[in-house]
Amino acid sequence: MTEESPRLQRKLKTAGWLIIGGLVIEATTLYWSNPTSFLSFIGAGGLLVMLGIALYLLAIVSR
Amino acid sequence: MDKQIFSVLIIVTVGLIALLVVRPSLTASREGKIFAFVALFILPIVATVYGAAIHLEQSKATHFCLSCHVMEPYGKSLYVDDPSYVPAGHFQNNRIPRDKACFTCHTDYTMFGDVNAKIRGLEHLYVYYFKQIPKKLALYEPYNNRECLHCHAGARSFEETSPHREMRAQLTANEMSCLTCHNMIHNVADLDKAKFWKGADE
Repeated sequence: MTEESPRLQRKLKTAGWLIIGGLVIEATTLYWSNPTSFLSFIGAGGLLVMLGIALYLLAIVSR
Repeated sequence: MDKQIFSVLIIVTVGLIALLVVRPSLTASREGKIFAFVALFILPIVATVYGAAIHLEQSKATHFCLSCHVMEPYGKSLYVDDPSYVPAGHFQNNRIPRDKACFTCHTDYTMFGDVNAKIRGLEHLYVYYFKQIPKKLALYEPYNNRECLHCHAGARSFEETSPHREMRAQLTANEMSCLTCHNMIHNVADLDKAKFWKGADE
């Protein structure tokens, strides 16, 4: 077992927080049924999740 | 039910990611790396796709369409106490599902009809927020008989009655619009003169 670098750990943490934020927004919008909620789901929730995933992938390929 | 499954999925995913955020050193081992891949990649994508599917299903709901201010008179027209109003007659007599009333008549019954309806919905959202809403709303193209025939074709009350029987071929070919005779649609301009049905729920 090798120790991960602090930089990688920091990126994973940031990616984790972004995805958590996005998922919480996605879950919230689902209990609010109107067109604005769909926009929030995609525009805010989806965007944060995608940013988090991108950061995670970037972190593991660039370490 | 779908929302409950989605909520559980979100709670599990957030819990697993929180564990990684608190203890990122978990990813040092091979199992940890797999765990991180599932928590930070697979599960968020599954949750987002599932959530989007629920949203798309919700967007078929009557209350969803009527949540936009400009659609209020069209919703009101479903309660007009006059059977000659085609949408009201369909809505009040359960000829269409009440909870999906708008979608049932305003989707295209073609292979990509649902997708096209959603794209049009997104365009409506864009206009609603960023452009001037037209004073008089209109369909993008003349109402296609295909949408009526999706349900009425094959129904005895339609096939065996005159003049449907005589002009069946023209109706199928869309050469004669159903709305030529059944021409009282939402008619929102005259709603202030209309009498309203109180509704089954009241």
